[in-house]
Amino acid sequence: MNSMNEILGEVTTIAGELSVKEVTARESIVSVEASRLNAVLELLKRRGFSHLSLITGVDRIKDGIFEVFYTLFRWETGETLLVKSSISRDEPVISTVMHLWPTARFYERDVHEFFGIVFDGNPDLKPLILENWKEMPPMRKDFDPQKYSNEHFPDRHYEAEFLAEGGDENE
Amino acid sequence: MSVYDGFKKTFWGPTIAWKRLFTKPVTIKVPQVYREAAERYRGFHVNDWDKCSGCGTCAKICPTDAIKMVAVDITVDIGKKAQRPAIDYGRCSFCGICVDICTTGSLNMTREYIHISDDPDSFFFLPDETGIHHDTPPIGYSRDENSELLDLERVEMEELPGEERVQSFVEFVKGFSREQAIAEAARCVDCELCIDACPAKMDIPRYIESIFKNDTKEGVEWMYRTNPLPSICGRVCTHKCETVCSIGNRGEPVAIRWLKRYLMDQEKTEDVIRYAKEQEIIKKGSGRVAIIGGGPAGLSAAYYLSLMGYSVTVYESKEHAGGVMRYGIPRYRLPDEALDGDIKVIEALGVKIECGKTVGRDITVEQLHEKFDAVFLGTGFMKGRSTGVKGADSEGVLMAMPLLESIRDYLRGDSSKKPEVPESLVVIGGGNVAMDVARSVARLQKMEGMPVDVKVTCLESSDEMPADLEEIVEGREEGIKYFPSRGPKEVCLEDGKVFGLSTIACTEVFDKDGRFNPRFDESDESMIEGKMIVEAIGQAPDYDYLPESIREKIQFIRGRILVNEKGQTDLPWLFAGGDIVNGPDIIHGVADGHKAAVGIDEYLSKGVK
Amino acid sequence: MSKEVKLFLGPNHPGMHGNSSVHLYVEGDTVVRSRLVPGFLHRGFEKLMERRGWMQNLALIPRICVPEPDINEMVYAMAVEVLTGTEVPERAHWIRMIILELARIASHLMALGGVGGSTGLYTISHWTLADRDRILDIFEKITGARIYHMYIVPGGVRKDLPEGIESEIVELLDYIESRSDEFENLLLKNRIIRTRTEGLALLTREEALEIGVTGVGLRATGLPYDIRKIDPYARYDSVVFDIPTATEGDAFARFTLKYYEMMQSIRILRQVLEKMPAGPVNAKISSGSALRWRVPEGTVYTHIESSRGEYGYFVVSDGGERPYRINVRGASFPQGLYGVEKLLAGTRIEDVALWLTTMDFCPPEIDR
Repeated sequence: MNSMNEILGEVTTIAGELSVKEVTARESIVSVEASRLNAVLELLKRRGFSHLSLITGVDRIKDGIFEVFYTLFRWETGETLLVKSSISRDEPVISTVMHLWPTARFYERDVHEFFGIVFDGNPDLKPLILENWKEMPPMRKDFDPQKYSNEHFPDRHYEAEFLAEGGDENE
Repeated sequence: MSVYDGFKKTFWGPTIAWKRLFTKPVTIKVPQVYREAAERYRGFHVNDWDKCSGCGTCAKICPTDAIKMVAVDITVDIGKKAQRPAIDYGRCSFCGICVDICTTGSLNMTREYIHISDDPDSFFFLPDETGIHHDTPPIGYSRDENSELLDLERVEMEELPGEERVQSFVEFVKGFSREQAIAEAARCVDCELCIDACPAKMDIPRYIESIFKNDTKEGVEWMYRTNPLPSICGRVCTHKCETVCSIGNRGEPVAIRWLKRYLMDQEKTEDVIRYAKEQEIIKKGSGRVAIIGGGPAGLSAAYYLSLMGYSVTVYESKEHAGGVMRYGIPRYRLPDEALDGDIKVIEALGVKIECGKTVGRDITVEQLHEKFDAVFLGTGFMKGRSTGVKGADSEGVLMAMPLLESIRDYLRGDSSKKPEVPESLVVIGGGNVAMDVARSVARLQKMEGMPVDVKVTCLESSDEMPADLEEIVEGREEGIKYFPSRGPKEVCLEDGKVFGLSTIACTEVFDKDGRFNPRFDESDESMIEGKMIVEAIGQAPDYDYLPESIREKIQFIRGRILVNEKGQTDLPWLFAGGDIVNGPDIIHGVADGHKAAVGIDEYLSKGVK
Repeated sequence: MSKEVKLFLGPNHPGMHGNSSVHLYVEGDTVVRSRLVPGFLHRGFEKLMERRGWMQNLALIPRICVPEPDINEMVYAMAVEVLTGTEVPERAHWIRMIILELARIASHLMALGGVGGSTGLYTISHWTLADRDRILDIFEKITGARIYHMYIVPGGVRKDLPEGIESEIVELLDYIESRSDEFENLLLKNRIIRTRTEGLALLTREEALEIGVTGVGLRATGLPYDIRKIDPYARYDSVVFDIPTATEGDAFARFTLKYYEMMQSIRILRQVLEKMPAGPVNAKISSGSALRWRVPEGTVYTHIESSRGEYGYFVVSDGGERPYRINVRGASFPQGLYGVEKLLAGTRIEDVALWLTTMDFCPPEIDR
């Protein structure tokens, strides 16, 4: 069974320079460019990291990018790799990985709905969880849930004798 | 092995259920049957209103915003607020984090978990000791040392150890580093109880938050809004705020004084001057104000009047400004550099400080009244008082204040002021000034190569000694010996030279009405050896500079000048503050100066004169 | 020529384990196509967790999953501990194992009862839920609440075990083992249930790995993959237990494995109660009061083996007092969404509920 370092060495040959950060003894973060992402993921899948746990999006509003993380797990040795790729926030497009893992179709649908990232090649980017949603993708950092709640839902009103003037809002 | 083979299919197997036909059902029919919850159950809340201080920490940490502090009609002391938590059980998630973080331990949860009502308003509830159904429910979840959410221990301040620090007058408190300061600032829960306790009403939680956010510029600006002497207060303030700090209820209070010092240590004086000048001038007042005395009250009044646009001149009779801060407090607690830093900021705003000018001799109060529109008196208590025992006027018996002044002048480089360093010293008095004298002379003895031989004696017993506890402890570490509960009887002289103090036992200092009325036991007499005696039993004011024409027009109470709440005396152009009004420490002087500045501004802008 | 009829196995259905809607297109009584419509339980947890401090999130995280809330607390605590580099005291690890294994037994009991509910044989579900109630009593004594414990915090556990709880837990374990005869006769040897579940919802090993099914679904195809053995956390590498596997890969194999796992959990618990050392139960993760805890910058993914499969949290911190991003990986995401689309075709309508129950389908994890 190839060790993690050997595999990362192989990845470097096809992806060029990549930065690896170790989080724990069995988990590391690998950053690759968006254009090499599919090749890297395919290589990792062949070398044993065949279980896709999760696809996550992170909104780095201050840097103007979205980060997309692919969490891969290798059953034989119990190691986890987080493969990270950054795309621009104004035109967020990244290629799909449906051909490698069929469930990615639904993970990508979820990330698309909440961040607005377009997965090129995924035909099924309909909304998954929200219905009749007209605002911006809600997990972005510039969406203010307090404002949304104040506009759409009423506040609570209580009348209790210990409150001033008999009525008070409990926000 | 296949799972199929592990369990053989049967048809009659499930009939085993019939054996339960006649067993008792296991359902407990709550609420017809009362089921008491477990010991740690998290049910509805109870709150002990006597212990609760109204700090509001529970409302801040509630994850669901279910707790709201409501004002209640009770009377509270300084350091507590007249508000109590009200809980909305529609939102409460019964997590118990509010109980874990409660600073006084007054909030607890009971084992009560059922409340049925057709009135939804009854679910928004103000708990007291009787719980939601107004009876006595058994207590359920309460905090213990494992679930504690406050940080009860202070970050340790590095200090030089006793043996080392007594060898010189170096400032032995080292100060916080940035990591230590941020860790200490993280202990604050922003309850704002300290603001009421501070005489100058400083915005303490705000500058602590600035330290936590690592924005020292903002912290300095917050401090200067109410106190123009933060480097000094950051070293020697009597910290009334720390006495009422919420964390002090169950642990050590936040080290507010050291955090103040940290902020000033981080910023250079030039930057502080820049921030002070960038402040918007609150008012464009016009007028000239004279201030007599460059102590805390005088400097504070000068700073705020100058910000308001007035032209201020301070007359200080000694060579350097600072008053009791410069000449009373020893160098190892308040070095000259800290004083000069703060005074430079005040001077940079345009305040003129004329040192070496004694009012009453070089210039009179009537002349000031003609040249200036208002006058502020901040002359302080710089004279000492004597016990008056037999032999107190001999050579070798000194007063505390002149001795401390000469020590500071000597350390500043004026060798003509070097005091005589005795082989052994007896100090009469148990307050902070006595400790200052004792520890200063101990250092002088070490610097001369002699061993430390200083004895402190006072009327009070060791529990009643009025000096700060840390002074007494640090003094003991430096080698000072204490003789409490003794009263001075007579100075022992031989050939006109002092060799000791004869003392008698003091059985009681305050009588049952709380008045100073010491009782002695003449039969218990002993002598404390010493080549020099210093009397440090209290200070007195010196009103010689006030001419008779003014003295008869203002009122005095027990040696202090009577003023209204704006610092104004009965003469409308004459204001006063500091020790000569109420004292008893630097921060009260700063507060008085600020108050008087506002009063002078009000008086002058009414168009009088 | 038969027509397709669209049916909704809607959010309110007695056979549904939670609140989700399955759209079925049936011809006759066989399902031809199907589609899961999640979203009825969406509460916006991930966004809510970004707006509260690290300790305040304690009230939110268990409420993601109802049958087994402790798994949320455990992975959250593990993630924060990795980011801050805190060492959890030894006793806290063992206490966490007690809580997790008791939660696993409770969840398996509920799942076995769910099989009874989906087939209409309600005796077994009444019995297992009544026994699960005894486990909830133990939780009430240890943590202070029955369902949402809020007991495992970053740094350890919130309070030490109360006096005398060890003997009560042993009594409970003996009681559950004494019921095994009844469970087996009523559920596992029961001819009716066997006939209905044998051969149902067949999952081959390749399909399982391709979809990403974890937990009992994967072990029923013969692979002994359990995160407690492969990527151990707490002190699972200090106790002895087996991983039951089967080869048939159908519904019956899956819940039989759950029954075996329950027995293994009892075995683990007995060992933990013997081996547990004394000591502190809590370590501070940051200086200051809980209102001002800060976690250093970093990204981490932690996962554990829950009763349904691999459950994980992806936590990103930017060095402040609040999390920057938390993503919840529910164990039933793959089989719920992709499995329902690809694998439900060919089952009869009456078996759909049974299919969903035995495939470990839990809607709150998908919707969060």
